[in-house]
Amino acid sequence: MQFQAFDQPYLDRLRAGDYRAQEHFDAYFSALIQIKLRSRLKSPEAIEDVRQETFARFFVALREGKILQPERLGSFVNSICNNVLLEHYRAGARFDSLDDEKEREIPDKTADIFGALTTKETEKKVREILEELSERDRRLLREVFLEERDKDEVCRDFGIDRDYLRVLLHRAKQSFKSSYLKNTGGDKPEFGAA
Amino acid sequence: MDHDVVVRQQMTEGYLLGELDPDARLEFEEHFFDCSECAIDVRTGALFVEQAKGVLAEESAPASSRAPATAPVPVIRGWLAWLRPAFAAPALALLLVVIGYQNLVTYPLLHQALNRPRVLPFASVNVGTWGSEQQTISIRRGEGFLLFVRIPPDGYSSHAAQLYNPAGKAEWSVTIPTTSTQDQWPLQVPGVNRESGTYILVVRGLTSAGDSKEVGRASFELQIQK
Repeated sequence: MQFQAFDQPYLDRLRAGDYRAQEHFDAYFSALIQIKLRSRLKSPEAIEDVRQETFARFFVALREGKILQPERLGSFVNSICNNVLLEHYRAGARFDSLDDEKEREIPDKTADIFGALTTKETEKKVREILEELSERDRRLLREVFLEERDKDEVCRDFGIDRDYLRVLLHRAKQSFKSSYLKNTGGDKPEFGAA
Repeated sequence: MDHDVVVRQQMTEGYLLGELDPDARLEFEEHFFDCSECAIDVRTGALFVEQAKGVLAEESAPASSRAPATAPVPVIRGWLAWLRPAFAAPALALLLVVIGYQNLVTYPLLHQALNRPRVLPFASVNVGTWGSEQQTISIRRGEGFLLFVRIPPDGYSSHAAQLYNPAGKAEWSVTIPTTSTQDQWPLQVPGVNRESGTYILVVRGLTSAGDSKEVGRASFELQIQK
């Protein structure tokens, strides 16, 4: 992932239609918006609708010179997204009441969030991390993330508390993140030239 | 939202686990949309969770079992897949139905038919020098009939009778023993679906050495009643 400083030159390049700046903006915020919306909207179509509307409004604001704090570009995009989401709910959310059958017919585009991020290397690393866990911890993650059981019930069944679950995920995530960043060419965010 | 607080409280994990209350969630989102360090944390965390779901799904037991961890069930591939309960159970049920029907219906009917006296259509066929004009046999479809085959004495130790259908194809062959006291033999021809037409019975004399020679043939007309 290429990290870029959100500053005035970045905004200027976006406004000028610079291809790389636009590509970066799209990739960076599409992923964050989709992660944000996954827990709020049921259908990939609704998520895509909100994402597109968010971007459309952003670029209108950009052209009209309404972005006064470039360094807070991210929170501006997030605010627009929140407003669009609210309007989506008020409009009756036509994609929010899909029955189970229709949901199954719509292909899950979750993997699209990560696009090129999802590689064999990534999957292999995740597999390694999971294999290092005890069978009990693997079952715990399976019941929480795959079977989506109620977390309080899971904790009760396993005789653990929420902190244990959080620490388990934290360690696995950290292990994965360090390997992932190493493979993608950066250990921590670096601010490239604007 | 203060970045140090986010890190200290492991808010990324709380976010991915869906543990944040609505206000905290909104605040955290506003934070990581601006903070590239937390953005990468959330993105890699979400990626890990998605990938882990796929890996865990491969090795998961059915959710309804909730049994203690057991060895993963091997995936049955190839022709052995037909032995899975999903296929084997209905196949077994069908087999039981077929067997039941055969034992309770078909076989008793056949047994009855075999033990009931019947009058069969017949014709006399004379081979060799005793040949006579062609006879006609009228049968119901699938019904058997009798052929009284008369073979003149010719010195052969036994004879073989072979029946040819109207298409010229041999249907069967049967051995007829030779005795000094009998020159006419009743052949029971099994009931099968036949076509109407001229059938030919060819009789061959058989020597003890295994040689054979045609000694005569006779034809008859078979009519299938409609």
